[in-house]
Amino acid sequence: MIRVIADNIMSPLGLTTGENLQAILRGESQLRVRRGLFGLPEDFCGSVFDRDMVPEIADTQANDGGFSFFERLCIASAAKAVAQSGIDPAAEDVIFVISTTKGNVDAISRDLMAPEAYIGESARRIAGYFGCSNSLVTSNACISGVCAQIAGVRALLGGRFRYAVIVGADVLSRFIVSGFQSFKALSPEPCRPYDAERCGLNLGEAAGTIILERCDDSDADQSTWQFVACSNHNDANHISGPSRTGEGSYRVLRDLLAALPADRLAFVNAHGTATLYNDEMESIALDRAGLAATPVNALKGFYGHTLGAAGIIETILSMHAVDNGIVLPTRGFASQGTSHRLNVSADVRPTDRRAFFKILSGFGGSNAGIAYRKGGDR
Amino acid sequence: MEELILQLKKQIIEALNLEDMTPADIDENAPLFGEGLGLDSIDALELIVLLEKEYGIKLTNPAEGKAIFGSVATIADFVSKNRKK
Amino acid sequence: MNVTITPEGVKLDRAIVATGSLAEIYRAHIGDYPKFFKMDSLSKLGFLAAEFLLRDIPPEQKENAAVVLFNRSGSLVTDRNYQRTITLNDNYFPSPALFVYTLANIVTGEIAIRHKIYGETAFYILPERDDATIERVVADMLLTSSPTMVVAGWVDWLDENNYIADLKLITN
Repeated sequence: MIRVIADNIMSPLGLTTGENLQAILRGESQLRVRRGLFGLPEDFCGSVFDRDMVPEIADTQANDGGFSFFERLCIASAAKAVAQSGIDPAAEDVIFVISTTKGNVDAISRDLMAPEAYIGESARRIAGYFGCSNSLVTSNACISGVCAQIAGVRALLGGRFRYAVIVGADVLSRFIVSGFQSFKALSPEPCRPYDAERCGLNLGEAAGTIILERCDDSDADQSTWQFVACSNHNDANHISGPSRTGEGSYRVLRDLLAALPADRLAFVNAHGTATLYNDEMESIALDRAGLAATPVNALKGFYGHTLGAAGIIETILSMHAVDNGIVLPTRGFASQGTSHRLNVSADVRPTDRRAFFKILSGFGGSNAGIAYRKGGDR
Repeated sequence: MEELILQLKKQIIEALNLEDMTPADIDENAPLFGEGLGLDSIDALELIVLLEKEYGIKLTNPAEGKAIFGSVATIADFVSKNRKK
Repeated sequence: MNVTITPEGVKLDRAIVATGSLAEIYRAHIGDYPKFFKMDSLSKLGFLAAEFLLRDIPPEQKENAAVVLFNRSGSLVTDRNYQRTITLNDNYFPSPALFVYTLANIVTGEIAIRHKIYGETAFYILPERDDATIERVVADMLLTSSPTMVVAGWVDWLDENNYIADLKLITN
């Protein structure tokens, strides 16, 4: 059995999972219009770390060790989760799986040949900070955060590792924001997942860590979160446009449902970027999979799309929501705006179910999902 | 107009990497998307960049592009009326 | 079956079957997929290698195949090309067609689209080539997934004189 033993979220809303959950329950967001940030000629609406907070984010050693902001964020988030778990991160049976779309890409704005831009080496530095020599990077665009959890689960099931420290992060830069602007994908105001008025996504910064452990079934109790199933399918349709039939996402949901039927789900935490095409595609996939009546939520209205962190922080928040017996709200959603009706949770709702799906879709036609359940789930 | 159409065809071939095509292969009245040249959504975004870079025309709303990017002839018509350079 | 593509040419199970640049190999051996020319170099390289492995496989066997690729550089060469379009504010024309390829996994998507593969597509970045890790990640994939076949291996593009695709088609 694979169980979750620790987690952390760092975002502009707070530097612990608890602070983030409380901020969400207060309806807060740091999505703001940013003028002239990164020297960009066009404004964008995003959720961005206050760079003055940076020294607080990691300890002195990480701040003085020549690590980039991206690496310090990963180290700081992983350090909190590692301390919570009590594991020895330098032990040989530990693997770090890093989820990021662009890592230190900003380094090439200063020097096109900057060596920091090699993501595998950046991951090695992050793991090396903890004395760990096993690291792997999942680089699957927007679905990386779920892919990293899947890679971690498999590394544990394969028997060589006992603990997987799964860290996801991305920091915004001129590079990333200008690219999404060139795609005309950004909303000028806080985004509105699944809403009739939605007009694009927001970008956000965050880091998140989940630590998984391989253990005996007898180690589980009522409070244990355990991995149930995972899936990854391509749309085989287009490298940037979501499938018109939701093919890959539908196949992911079908695989997850074979392991965990809909009547046991508290909710599906969807991708919900608030672009016209992503949310429409997900509505088709969820409906095809028979999940139109199951509560669905999306958290991009609080954080924006946090890229490599998204799959991780959204999974963590989903677990903590179930711990509190609730479905988290979909900030920005007011009226249904997809062709297939979904049961979107606009506000906090109570639930007595103890399992959920986390799904993502992204560039490259990629789709991934993971299912977790808590002990006591029938 | 003839000259602008030829120039646009060359720029489109270059910008969209339509390898092995020449301006003579593009019928300026044929649809660019769907059938015709079979361009896709990324090509449409790249055409927006082309208009800004070569002619100083800024399209802020990609939905405007639909009518403008119907064919090379419709682009030429739009450019001739709106060009800033 | 194993395919390698380097500046020396294409080798199928160690026998040279094609030589020339990627565009020349495409023209001589494929020729029916003009989208090839829209791809970045990493995607062209992975696409061509997969083509030699998969072109004779019937579609129904490919539907549930998996494509799992690894490299060191990610999409760094395309990242640099994109960066050149945004460095200066007075020559600022961010290119969407370049930006989309600043994600290393796009090559897996290009292969999936070409061969109608609806199975798993995944890209991993390592600090250096490490065949033991590649084999372990591919073997561990089979613990939670049952693809009909797997295209797996290393695909890295540095420049015109320095590239390698070394892919395997694993079937049972």
